[in-house]
Amino acid sequence: MGTAIEIDGVSKRFGKVEAVRDLSFSVEAGRVTGFLGPNGAGKSTTLRILLGLVHQNAGSATFGGRRYEELPHPSSHVGVVLEDASFHPGRTARNHLRILATAGRHPLSRVDEVLERVGLSDAANRRVKGYSMGMRQRLAIAAALLGDPDVLILDEPANGLDPPGIRWMRELVRAEAARGSAVLISSHLLAEVAQSVDDVVVISHGTLRAAGPLESVLGSSEGPTTRVRARDLDRLAQTLRAKGFEPEPDGDGGLLVRAEPEAVGAIAAEGQVALSELVRVSRSLEDAFLELTGEAA
Amino acid sequence: MSALLRAELIKLRTTRTFAALAGVALATSMLITGLEAALDDPSESTVLVDVFTSDTSGLFILVLAIVGISGEWRHRTITSSLLAAPARVRFLIAKTLAFAAAGLLLSLLVSLAISILGSAILDSRGMPVPAAGELVEQGARNALVAALFGAFGVGIGGLVRNQPVAIVGVLMMSFVFEPGLIALEPDVAKFGPFASLPLGIQDIPPELIGWDTEIFDTLPATLLMLAWIGIFFAVTAILLRTRDVE
Repeated sequence: MGTAIEIDGVSKRFGKVEAVRDLSFSVEAGRVTGFLGPNGAGKSTTLRILLGLVHQNAGSATFGGRRYEELPHPSSHVGVVLEDASFHPGRTARNHLRILATAGRHPLSRVDEVLERVGLSDAANRRVKGYSMGMRQRLAIAAALLGDPDVLILDEPANGLDPPGIRWMRELVRAEAARGSAVLISSHLLAEVAQSVDDVVVISHGTLRAAGPLESVLGSSEGPTTRVRARDLDRLAQTLRAKGFEPEPDGDGGLLVRAEPEAVGAIAAEGQVALSELVRVSRSLEDAFLELTGEAA
Repeated sequence: MSALLRAELIKLRTTRTFAALAGVALATSMLITGLEAALDDPSESTVLVDVFTSDTSGLFILVLAIVGISGEWRHRTITSSLLAAPARVRFLIAKTLAFAAAGLLLSLLVSLAISILGSAILDSRGMPVPAAGELVEQGARNALVAALFGAFGVGIGGLVRNQPVAIVGVLMMSFVFEPGLIALEPDVAKFGPFASLPLGIQDIPPELIGWDTEIFDTLPATLLMLAWIGIFFAVTAILLRTRDVE
């Protein structure tokens, strides 16, 4: 569908601290991309550079080739939830959205539509200072959806949401991607991200550690690994060794083979070995994250 | 720009602070005017200045403007404001115009109220009452001061983002330092934006408040006030453009 966000060689220094260093990645339309990294990795700085809130020292961050401030009506193209989304405590949710709708030249009818979509219609006329953290997060998401944008940037969107809220948020981002939007989610909730994203970008200490489809990033650094089981395990092992593979016991009655499941299955069929299990072994996102960011124990 | 201006006006209207301070401005103006009209014995030549220059809306809109822009940082709403309006100088212009307009409207409302109240009390006491044209002119002068203060407050609050420091600083400048400077260095103090220039714009004789000095007439006072606003606006705009919003 095309590249929606392009980060190209971005660097940012705060005094002596190099927050982001020569960072490049892209986000595709119609896909949900997880933006992962430990605390202080430079995720929020990168997002703020992308949104024109922080000035980078080098590189460019664009939406379809245009900087955020160059977009004709930015909130019609890009919806944003930042981690520290804040509201005037004395203002109602409806008035907060009315202000944003007016400034962004969106019809005021959108205010009630997005309030309905995030489930805040009944609390729309309450002052935000009485809102729970989850309600504030829903209000921030409502603000992001006001302009019906084709790019969504969500920084820790699950913060404060209860389990039904997290599920709702997951369905929302999947629905947005399904209709062609590019969704970039920065999060530290790896299990949550793993259920929502198509692609991941992993950064640490301001530099890129991995980027690509989730499966490819989760794959072992030593190549694909397959777990295979058969009633006649010895014969299966001999057949695999005959083809140049070195199967290892998995400690649970099966074998681990450094190969794609398709290749292992084909060899077993050729050797007429009946298989009872054939599955690709992936690292968990947490394992991959810790390995990529150099924080594995 | 019109969308941003409308958004800023909605911001103004949708907090209790604006309603509260506008109410206080109206109440204090009416109280002072009522007392002046009831207790003073003005002559036909002094009644306008003695009774009908008690519009306090300028001071309150100054405070409101400071609260309005510094509150963007205090409540961290500056992020959503700049996401909606990434052209930062346009955002600042919209805010400046919004508070100028709010000052103008608030002062006109206050002037109308004190004109009716003061005239009614003076008339009931058999005292001279200014002609309608004079009241309109004085109201326009008061409103001009309030509009300029609204714009000035945005520049001050954008520069001094610590809300309490900005408000206390402005009050100290208005009631302590600038009046003190009048006594010490009147040639310098007459350029002061918090007391001397507003007095000139309102055409209030300085001796009325015990100042033994000359002040600028309306036009030069207005131009000097605009210069102050321009300086503060320019510095705030430069800082807003160059600073990171973290």
